[in-house]
Formats: sequence, structure tokens, C-alpha cells
Amino acid sequence: MITQNQLHHDLEEMLELDADTIKGNENLDEIAWDSMTVVMFIAMADQKYSVAVSPAKLADAKTVSDLHTLISNPA
Amino acid sequence: MAIVQFTKSRIAGIACTLPRQVVSTAEVAAALGADTRRIKAMTGIAQRRIAPPEMCASDLCADAASRLIVDLDWDPHSIDALVFVTQTPDYILPATACILQQRLGLPTTCACFDVNMGCSGYVYGLWIASSLVESGLNRVLLLVGDTSTRIVSDQDRSVAFLFGDSGSATALERGNAITTFVLGTDGGGAENLIIRAGQARQRMTPELCARVEMEGGNIRSPQELYMNGSEVMAFTLREVPPLFEQLLEHSGTQREQIDAVVMHQANQFLLDNLARKIGIEPSRVPSTVENCGNTSCASVAVTISSLLREQISQKTLKLAMMGFGVGWSWAGCIGDVGPIKAPPVNSLD
Repeated sequence: MITQNQLHHDLEEMLELDADTIKGNENLDEIAWDSMTVVMFIAMADQKYSVAVSPAKLADAKTVSDLHTLISNPA
Repeated sequence: MAIVQFTKSRIAGIACTLPRQVVSTAEVAAALGADTRRIKAMTGIAQRRIAPPEMCASDLCADAASRLIVDLDWDPHSIDALVFVTQTPDYILPATACILQQRLGLPTTCACFDVNMGCSGYVYGLWIASSLVESGLNRVLLLVGDTSTRIVSDQDRSVAFLFGDSGSATALERGNAITTFVLGTDGGGAENLIIRAGQARQRMTPELCARVEMEGGNIRSPQELYMNGSEVMAFTLREVPPLFEQLLEHSGTQREQIDAVVMHQANQFLLDNLARKIGIEPSRVPSTVENCGNTSCASVAVTISSLLREQISQKTLKLAMMGFGVGWSWAGCIGDVGPIKAPPVNSLD
């Protein structure tokens, strides 16, 4: 099970944000989410969590919390 | 299943030609108001070679082929077939391969045809050309090249930084190299890398030539390339590692026996992730992404010519080659290649 804290830490690293910047309730457009970070997230989920994220479902994600739901229930 | 092992053919030479004109990522980023550092960090691309408007993929391939034929000291009349792999042919018809037959001085007894494949195209072409030799032909020329920059919008950030133009020529003849091929297709991914207009399904009209704003503010016309980058990444991570495992299994090869895994040069981020997934250290995954970008179907040949030329001219290398992308289509092979003729990469004005 991937914890919310783990996801927040990994997102901060991926997005080059300061530690503890992400709290979980942010909208994705608040953390510079764009087509490039979407691709990076798919690769990160594969590498760190061994999860194959569906690009179609990822496109529907609106918040950081949605990302956690997605990697927790990828099927 | 498209899995086969060939034993009666060999690669005799590989040559590549690039346009001389260079465009840097910094220039394109400045024009689009994008962050150069971020794009370079992600794609690994610092610069690319761009064909001027009058230069076609066939011009680049013809230059490579002419030089290779001379280097091999082949009589053009000894060539039995020419296969041209491209998604940027000179015309809708005739097949560009027919024009190249005359241009290269090949005999009228030569079989010539085009193959419409992109990212998987080089390995597909090797499979086809090897098949022709295995079926009884003596010598086959495989020309693989694209001027992809001609079919992307320079106002579409999802593709404007990626593609470079290139042409290659690979000579195949009878021999005894053992090469194992695995090929696959999933047309369910066709929508993710597509040019919608300009052919029979959607004929070109003046309205369709106009660029319009699409997803994420990207601006392109229906006659220009659409790429869904997240679907490409997911597809690649899903299909390429099993392809590599199949190649190892069916060729009886161990990872440590492979001198280099030459993959389609999509971008550095993708190459790094694939190297990790297939368990091959980056030093055995050569990349020409930094200076050439994604050179489409010719990228495997461009990488061999650019980075393995000196080694492969002098000795035998065990190479794995893999192409994957538009289609979805994928193809891989493992075999011993070399010593071969591998002239330096040429730049064409």
C-alpha cells in the first residue's frame, strides 16, 4: 500500500518542489501539472510502485488525492 | 506468431545521412515561450537536424545508399531488391522505391517497394529484407528514412521539440548470421499517433489545411501529427519489456552476452525508463537523442552509424535492436552483426 505521504514525497521530488509542499488537497493545476508531468508520473508509478497507470483515468484526475486513489486502485 | 530465426543472410553494411541544417532546442523553446532547461531535462534533446523544404527522406537515403554501394564495391546490377521504409514518401504514388531504383542505377530486374512504418520501421525493414535474402535473392538494399519535421506543427508543444530528419541504407546479402526476430501489432493504439487528413479516409480540403488550437493549447492542422504522449509512455512500458524477454528466450541469449541494445530513439526519458525495465545498464543502451532527436524509423540505424561504427567495422557485435510506436507496432531482433562496412555519417546540404 502506497501511503499518501510517500506519494507526496515522490511528487515533490519529481516536480522539484520543496519538501512538505504538497498536502494532498491541491488541485493538479496548482502544482504545475501538464502533459510532461503526466508522462513523468506514469513512469514514476511504474518504477516506484510497479503500477501501470491508465492514461485515460489519469486524464480524469483533478487533485493530488485523485492520484493517490489511482495508484491505490489501478485496475 | 511472428517469431522467426534466420540463418542464411547477413548485414554487409550500414550508412546514414543527415541534413546539415541544425536547430537547437533553445531556439524552438524561445519561439514557443517554453522552458528550455525543462524540455532538455525531459527529452534529452539539445539539437536536431532539419531537412530544408526541398529535401526529402529519399534524398537522404539515396546519399547513404550511393556511398554504401561504393564502399562495399557492389555492382549495382548485383542488387535484386530495394525496400524503402518511410512515412514521408516523395508522393502518394508512385512508390518512392521505384524512383530510387532509377536514381541509384539499379537494374530493371530489381524488385522495389515502399513500406509504411514508423518507429518500428527499421527492424521491420531488416525482417523483410532478410526474408527476401532467405527466400533466394542475392543482395537487398534496405533504405529507411523520414523527414518527420515536415509533418509536425512547430506550434504543437507535444511534438515540436522531438523530431529530427535522417536517412539510412543497409545492405543485406547471403551469409550465415543467426538473427531472431519478434514482431507484434496492436491497432487499438492507432488513434494515439496519427495524421488524420490527407489520404483516403479524410481527403484534404482547404479547411483541413488550417491550424486550430487543440488540447493543452497545442496548435496544429488535421494534416499534421497528433501524439498522445501519456499513451505512448504507457504502451512502451507495457510492450517493450516482454518483447525483449521474448527475444532473449527465442534466441537463447543471456543479457550479459549482448554488446548493445539499440532502441528506437524516442526520447531520453523513455530510453532511460526502458533500460531500467529490461535490466540493461545505460552504458549498453546507446543514444543519439541529444544531437539528433527522434529520427523516426531510421533512429536505430543512425545510432549504430553514429556510435558503434568503429567497433562494428572491425569485429562482430551481438546486437539487440528494438523499434516501437506508431501503430501500435513493435519489432525486435537479436543477432551477430559485423564486421561490416560502416562509413561515417554524412551531412547533406
